[in-house]
Amino acid sequence: MQVGRKGGRKRVIDSSYLVPALVVFTIACGVRARIDVYGAFVRGVREGLLALLEMAPYLCTILSATALLRETGVLRALEGLLAPAFALLGLPQEAASVVLLRPLSGSAALAAVRDVIAQCGVDSRAARLCCVISGASETVFFTGALYLGAAGVRGARHAVPAAMLAYAAGVLAAARLV
Amino acid sequence: MNAVFCLMLLTGVLAAALRGDASGAQHALLSGGGEAVTFCLEMAGAYAFFGGLLGVLRESGVTAALAAALRRPLMRLFPFAPGEERAMGDICMNLAADILGMGGAATPAGLRAMRTMAGAGGARARASDAMTLFLVLNMCSVQLLPTTMIAIRAQAGAAQPADIVLPTLLATGVQTLTGIALCKWAARGEESA
Repeated sequence: MQVGRKGGRKRVIDSSYLVPALVVFTIACGVRARIDVYGAFVRGVREGLLALLEMAPYLCTILSATALLRETGVLRALEGLLAPAFALLGLPQEAASVVLLRPLSGSAALAAVRDVIAQCGVDSRAARLCCVISGASETVFFTGALYLGAAGVRGARHAVPAAMLAYAAGVLAAARLV
Repeated sequence: MNAVFCLMLLTGVLAAALRGDASGAQHALLSGGGEAVTFCLEMAGAYAFFGGLLGVLRESGVTAALAAALRRPLMRLFPFAPGEERAMGDICMNLAADILGMGGAATPAGLRAMRTMAGAGGARARASDAMTLFLVLNMCSVQLLPTTMIAIRAQAGAAQPADIVLPTLLATGVQTLTGIALCKWAARGEESA
């Protein structure tokens, strides 16, 4: 994990140990609970693949739309429009699509992140920042509609403004951290 | 999202028409879906792997243990109206599953919790304080490990796919704490008004 800015010379821990360490932890939990680790893993894989399959139609839909906006120059125009505000906040303008789409839809934001990675390179600041923003946030509007609908309640009071301000705080924090 | 999607397509086509570049628009529209299919297949391996790990954690009872550990701090955090505390079990389960990144397990528990809390106060049109706070917690991310982002970075050939974990955690922390603080502040403001 890198803590230092730009190039991250200050390396606290090598992040490539993270996933292997997670494997050791998980196996230890499984063995300690005396469960069938292999079977549980396979069942989990099935769930992971099904989740991806469920997301695929959304990704196909939204990637057509983002590809269209990129090809026709609309995305660049939008980024240019927002560039002054983004510069003021310390955000690269390429992050515009991700920042705008993240509260609306997880798959749309994922498509946008993929776009930024393809345009700027996976280890560019813009791409890393987009990953951090996307990974640190939720789909505010979808979650709100889903949960309020389930409760049969229409008035969400301060929930949406509070969540959107919190999102903005998270984005600004991410811009300082990456 | 409906309006956003329609707007995206219409502005895209309109811009193509203005620039007289219909073939570019057509190419983008028809290739976007294909890109998505390739993308899904490339992501499938990492998704499967993280899914497997989560499966073992769940069946080992880690989610349940985390839910039990969350109970006491959450009891203090939530401004329950009488009767609403019956949703506590589902609230703990929802947040524990969210922290571990198990969206599939989190949502049903979350919806149950909302229904229980809504039922506690009789018929109402507005969310209670506890319901609003729970909603905001679910609108902010509490996920510990951004597995999808690690997966997309690994697939794109990043030097260190997992090196976004620490900044992501810190940004999540800032976001969630801001959400809780705003929620408490807004609820108090309404009370004294």
